[in-house]
Amino acid sequence: MAQLGTVYNLFFRRNYAMLATVFTTAFAWEMLYDNTMNKVWDNINKGRQWKDIRQKYIQGADDE
Amino acid sequence: MAPLTTLARAAVRSSAAASLPVRALSTSAACSVAASGTTSPSYSSPFKGAQKSTQVPDFSHYMAKSSGSTNQLFGYFMVGTLGAISAAGAKSTIQEFLKNMAASADVLAMAKVEVDLAAIPEGKNVIIKWRGKPVFIRHRTQGEIEEANKVNVSALRDPQADEDRVKKPEWLVMLGVCTHLGCVPIGEAGDFGGWFCPCHGSHYDISGRIRKGPAPLNLEIPVYDFPEDDKLVIG
Amino acid sequence: MFARSGLRSTQRVFAGARNGAINVTKRAASTSSGAEASPVRLNIAAAASTAVAIGSIAWYYHLYGPTAHAMTPAEEGLHATKYPWVHQQWFKTFDHQALRRGFQVYREVCAACHSLQRVPYRAFVGTILTVDEAKAMAEENEYDTEPNDQGEIEKRPGKLSDYLPAPYKNDEAARFANNGALPPDLSLMVKARHGGCDYIFSLLTGYPDEPPAGAQVGAGLNFNPYFPGTGIAMARVLYDDLVDYEDGTRASTSQMAKDVTEFLNWAAEPEMDDRKRTGLKVLVVTSILFAATVWVKRYKWAYLKSRKIAYAPPKDANVQHRQ
Repeated sequence: MAQLGTVYNLFFRRNYAMLATVFTTAFAWEMLYDNTMNKVWDNINKGRQWKDIRQKYIQGADDE
Repeated sequence: MAPLTTLARAAVRSSAAASLPVRALSTSAACSVAASGTTSPSYSSPFKGAQKSTQVPDFSHYMAKSSGSTNQLFGYFMVGTLGAISAAGAKSTIQEFLKNMAASADVLAMAKVEVDLAAIPEGKNVIIKWRGKPVFIRHRTQGEIEEANKVNVSALRDPQADEDRVKKPEWLVMLGVCTHLGCVPIGEAGDFGGWFCPCHGSHYDISGRIRKGPAPLNLEIPVYDFPEDDKLVIG
Repeated sequence: MFARSGLRSTQRVFAGARNGAINVTKRAASTSSGAEASPVRLNIAAAASTAVAIGSIAWYYHLYGPTAHAMTPAEEGLHATKYPWVHQQWFKTFDHQALRRGFQVYREVCAACHSLQRVPYRAFVGTILTVDEAKAMAEENEYDTEPNDQGEIEKRPGKLSDYLPAPYKNDEAARFANNGALPPDLSLMVKARHGGCDYIFSLLTGYPDEPPAGAQVGAGLNFNPYFPGTGIAMARVLYDDLVDYEDGTRASTSQMAKDVTEFLNWAAEPEMDDRKRTGLKVLVVTSILFAATVWVKRYKWAYLKSRKIAYAPPKDANVQHRQ
């Protein structure tokens, strides 16, 4: 309960604190979201993308 | 005529209301009100079958189960989340629109020029086109490098040491545009063994520095790099 | 200002007093039925507006409505079967191994007649080929240089920024070499043909061994039921084991047709992978936003929805009776 009160006093009580919280969160959240979704995407398309098969051809070029 | 009809209508209405066998709440006439006290907000409707819509509903399930402060915090959290995600979305959208104004892939692909240096013998000039401008590439001899370094830099109009103008001393790469009025200077000409601009007689030395004539500055050096030994990438 | 408006209002009061009697009679007249428009005129107006509406719809249909359809199923071409293309699913990218195979098929088979002029070599880098492979492939071709000092145009080896070369110098040369038929550019073919991938796959694999009895096949044409008009100048090109896939996949006719179709889809929509990834992100974000919006709406409306407005009638003693 006390922690919740602290959270409220710290982030939500004053308007500028709320705005700052919201925009900082937006920034952090966007990076996190982008990374997560890219991972999800790579997982959905495992083995289909160029980065998955690239290794074969890079090494092949080195051998020759 | 008119006042008469209104009066008659009112009379009919009031008599009808009076004849209703209920405690009517109509304001027009016969205010026989249920005196059940103001504390109870319920009343019974005078209309048949209207019980559903006139019953005061129970809103207790709207009440929050958790405590007040948790509830308040959660409310702020949800509103804040909505704002944050909207802000992130708006930022991405605007960013994509701005990216649209950047150079397109085909323009970027043309912005770099690769030159094979092995084909340029020592002591020779090569002129290539880069973004519509000529670029002079000179494979300088050891003598020329020494000559460029011998010059007293402080006496020059646009003082610049030779090391500052080249990445590898044997390769001089510069834009072939005279800094005076934009003519293309002629190679291996002029009083200083470098370039000579035929338009107004500017003389550049073997490092492309202005030595004589109207031009105010040395020949410009583009951004370039040597990714491999015999390869030059301009741009 | 004040004086004037005050004056006007008093004038109005007087005017009202003066006109009172007339107003009363007017009001009485408006409530009586005598001044209403006659039903005949209303009927005429309704009929006229209906006629105008029907007429304008008919005129619009006459101008833009009927579309020209082919006369017979043969002229329209057989409808291509719908195939379950994996790369056309919402959240699936192209299979880049298949693109690589498809590019090999294009290079070894299609490129003999068909150009792919809107695709530059740089587009292959990072999708189908490595940088070195793409550079080597570009250098196999010659391109015109910019005019040199003497104004001569020389030849130089290709660079990554160059586009794939066309097999013929111009359309006329292409027509001349192909019996008058122009092999179309394939860059946007998947987008340009009704049925897209399904059509191209069906066309490539749909050549029968011999035309069915009674089919009219023109001179120099081949029978393909999927081609509108059924007479196509291109002969069947894909036969089993025509190309030697570098990754060891067996090059059956349908495998090659599938790979080259996917490759042509990539050529038409090279941005598809990124587009779908962005689409996934947008869909997830908008559904989160929608849910949050609904929650906030309910939150903001809760006190409005749950408030009780009750009329507690005053006691008789306090009521001021009118009349």
